[in-house]
Amino acid sequence: MSFPWSPLWGLYWREIVRTFRNPFVLLITVVQPFMWLAFFGSSFSLAPSTALKGFFGASNYIQFLLPGVLSTSMLSVGMFGSMSTIQDKRFGFMKRILITPTSKGTVFLTKSLGSATRGLVQFPVMIAAAFAFGVPLDLTPLEWVAWVAALMLLAIGFCSLFLAITARSTDWQTPGVVANFITMPLMFSSAALFGSTYFPDWMKDISSVNPITFSALLGRSFVLGTGTNWADLGYLAIFSGAMLVMGYFVSSRWLRVE
Amino acid sequence: MNAALDGNAVVVKDLSKHYGSGERVVRALDHVSLSIPSGTVFGLLGPNGAGKTTLIKVLTGITDITGGDASVAGFDVRRESMEVRARIGWVAAEVILDDDFSARENLWFQAKLQSLKGWETRAEDLLAFFSLADRADDKVSSFSTGMRKKLEIALALLHQPTVIFMDEPTIGLDVSTRRMLWDIVTGVHKEFGVTVLLTTHYIEEADALCDRVAIIDQGHILAEGTPSELKGRIKADIVELETAESLDPVRIAALPGVQEVHAQGNGWTIRVGTADDFLPRLFATVRTDQIRRISVDKPSLETVFLEVTGRRMGQEEPIRDLRKFYAQMRRARG
Repeated sequence: MSFPWSPLWGLYWREIVRTFRNPFVLLITVVQPFMWLAFFGSSFSLAPSTALKGFFGASNYIQFLLPGVLSTSMLSVGMFGSMSTIQDKRFGFMKRILITPTSKGTVFLTKSLGSATRGLVQFPVMIAAAFAFGVPLDLTPLEWVAWVAALMLLAIGFCSLFLAITARSTDWQTPGVVANFITMPLMFSSAALFGSTYFPDWMKDISSVNPITFSALLGRSFVLGTGTNWADLGYLAIFSGAMLVMGYFVSSRWLRVE
Repeated sequence: MNAALDGNAVVVKDLSKHYGSGERVVRALDHVSLSIPSGTVFGLLGPNGAGKTTLIKVLTGITDITGGDASVAGFDVRRESMEVRARIGWVAAEVILDDDFSARENLWFQAKLQSLKGWETRAEDLLAFFSLADRADDKVSSFSTGMRKKLEIALALLHQPTVIFMDEPTIGLDVSTRRMLWDIVTGVHKEFGVTVLLTTHYIEEADALCDRVAIIDQGHILAEGTPSELKGRIKADIVELETAESLDPVRIAALPGVQEVHAQGNGWTIRVGTADDFLPRLFATVRTDQIRRISVDKPSLETVFLEVTGRRMGQEEPIRDLRKFYAQMRRARG
């Protein structure tokens, strides 16, 4: 059987176009991480730069925070992806899709890739906002590409995880419940908001396998100009690939049509 | 591919679909067998919960089969699901379109799902056929219900399917839109030569649209044939009679052609072979000045349904009281 490029492209296009035709979704997608930078990022704005340099390794907390916020915002991308899937089930659209020669696996792949792409809309907005807050960003083209790739891998991984968990669900509330259950522990046990140096040992252990940590550290190494550990990108690729395979298997078998 | 199509677009053999297990098992379809000849409009007539939609779900591969076999367009529904799905169209009871897209974009999306090449000409033809060409680039959310239904049928036809499943396509529509849809179904069938499996609980719809009809109830096919064949099964007319004086029931029952007589006071319900033969005999027996009122009811699909199920469409329990049964028959025919 040939690879289903045609339904893959059709479904992916639908995911993207629907986002850009819904100004409210687009606005929330863009505003949410911006609020993080504006409010959370400004919380240390009056701190002495020496203290910031000592604690965060940056003279500006937003400079430290930016890669972390971009990484954590990929968590909400997964929630939106699974909400969109539940909407398709409830309005019968999933049935319309699956009465054609399109497989459940193809639907899963496009939901995952589409949601991840949608999440990356935040990237240019956040970079522009960071410039506006006076954050110096002196990255090489390779570093820009690697940063975007890392976020894309993280988003695909989380979307796949969310879609697998909610494959059987038709309840609007499920993605929110799942998000509440996994977002907080993943966010606070990562190095996204603060460095893990002062974490207790058990949190350091969690942080050391938390994919958000890898994405945040990689991005931070580009922004702060510290040494880059390219293995972080490899870890994210493994995380993303594993979630994609698991999600594909779960969806192919258990994705509910209605 | 099943070579033994024998001119049938859909073949169902001993098909069962159960939900749940043990004492709580629900037999949505119970050993159903039927064949749908290619190029016909086949109606599946039954009340809500009869198993109509379940049969469509099974035939379209949306739900698994518990037992038996089914093939669509010559392909086994279980083993060749993708082949089946490439050859079927589907029109849902509720209109399912992407409201954020235009009519043309919905067609583009359907073409992508079906992996079609060179679909554009066909799409333009369909837009013209359904009088949607002028609004092809408008968002579907601005369409009327009738236009949305037309577009949904156009989507179902885009890949030139062998069979179209229409699951209660007129439910919830007003009378004029329903009539318009009847014309469309007839037009689509004639123009595109596609086999249509239509489920409905509207008697008149099955009668008006379908070449063949199967009556389904509680997961069983109870009768199947052309509408006239089904009506012909009821080899009886119902004569309603009201007389000025009481008559001797034995005399009435003894008249040739009488199958059953029910009397209450001066009111009579008489089941006869044909009213045309019976009425001259009745008038020879009963003086016409004694007759206050007389009416004759001919068989309809609703009376067929009543006859084979013992109840009216949508009624839960069978009618055990013969008088009530005939009263229902009268209403069904009226």
